[in-house]
Amino acid sequence: MGEKKKVVPFWGCMMPLKYPQMELAIRRTLPNIGIEIVDVDGFTCCPDPIYFKARDKMKWLTIAARNLAVAEEIGLDVITMCSGCISTLKEAQYLLDEDPKLKDEINKKLKKIDKEYKGTVSVKHAVVMIRDELGIDVVKKSLKKSLEGIKVGIHYGCHLLKPSQIMHVDDADYPNILEDLVMAIGATPVYQKESLLCCGKGCMDADIPLEMTEAIFVAIEESGADCMGLICPTCFSSFDLGQLMIARKKGKTFNIPVIYIFQLLGLAQGLTAEEVGLHKHRIKADKVLEKIV
Amino acid sequence: MSKKKITVDFRFRDKLNKVQGGKHHNYCYQCSACVAVCPAARFTKNFNPRIILLKALLGMEEELIGENSAIWLCTNCYSCYERCPQDVRPIEVIISLKNMAVERRTAPPNLTKLSENIGKTGVSVTVTSAVRRMRQELGLPELKDIPIEELQTILGEQEPQIFQEEEKNDK
Repeated sequence: MGEKKKVVPFWGCMMPLKYPQMELAIRRTLPNIGIEIVDVDGFTCCPDPIYFKARDKMKWLTIAARNLAVAEEIGLDVITMCSGCISTLKEAQYLLDEDPKLKDEINKKLKKIDKEYKGTVSVKHAVVMIRDELGIDVVKKSLKKSLEGIKVGIHYGCHLLKPSQIMHVDDADYPNILEDLVMAIGATPVYQKESLLCCGKGCMDADIPLEMTEAIFVAIEESGADCMGLICPTCFSSFDLGQLMIARKKGKTFNIPVIYIFQLLGLAQGLTAEEVGLHKHRIKADKVLEKIV
Repeated sequence: MSKKKITVDFRFRDKLNKVQGGKHHNYCYQCSACVAVCPAARFTKNFNPRIILLKALLGMEEELIGENSAIWLCTNCYSCYERCPQDVRPIEVIISLKNMAVERRTAPPNLTKLSENIGKTGVSVTVTSAVRRMRQELGLPELKDIPIEELQTILGEQEPQIFQEEEKNDK
């Protein structure tokens, strides 16, 4: 493989501080498909598009604009691996580019620390960058093991796709970006009818989020999938730990392993379950691992 | 036919107009497209984005930003934003209302807990020694320092500096 594409990772908080196994999977797999990860200083929380934004939208926008300004100074493309981070950074860009008065107001705040948001940086989710800039075939070329016959029930969640006028990723009702990626990895994507349903994490209620998660796992079970393949760390907390909560509170056991798509890629690239951090999950993926040849 | 008098509180609507994203509530023509795609509405009768927009159009301050408002049941999924033919961006109007509730101190206490870390430490998740150990075990790089002073400078206020290294974050 020739020259690698240098990208700056915006790790956010959930991955490095809650699910480092996802960060591990990214660090291990991207170099194999021609991406060089260039870590930089200066980022903070994106900040989170649910609770912090609910607290104060202007502060939310200010912090996001600072992160974007930090990225602009570096001059490389930025990738995020978290649906929450991409949601915040893309929406902040959209709002600032849409409204020059708002941009001036925010830039006045950034001036206090000698920073400015100009609107020049490209921020994409890693899967989007792979599809649009490298082409999905680079994934196929990196594979060493066959995941043939492993059925993956894909879960999109919300923020990777919506709102499509901001995210520019796919048809928000009939997406196929993750199906294409899972097929390139060599596994079989299976349709589950709740693949676009919210995991419920942002709903500030004791019962509703669990009901949503349950509905999703009923659909995964019906689909006959061996595991769930997902892209969002917040969904992951709803689904991995969430299955234990459903078992405890509702007496229903699904026991369906939840795998971050880049962990799946790692397995196909010949990495072991430990090398992609699967041993850190509550629901063990043994049955999936047995099928890998 | 009896006539029921409807009053509109335009002062509240003016206030909502001034919060970032709040102005779009004016565009709502009550078509219910948002309700059809809303996951919260699917799982509970207590949440209906069209009704929230109707209450915003009528300026029903207490209903919207008083104690125990239904706005906090929104899942933040952006389906309504995707579907709305009027560019109301219902979720954004709801978040604007949440900002107003925070100012009135009627937000659920849990919100403070879930959002206060960022102003104090620059990250949303509490950094525990357990996660540092886990990173080490996985062979991941040390965590980078967070430029918290810069953050506090642009936020324009000094948030209380209580750096909690250890917490019950990971069970």
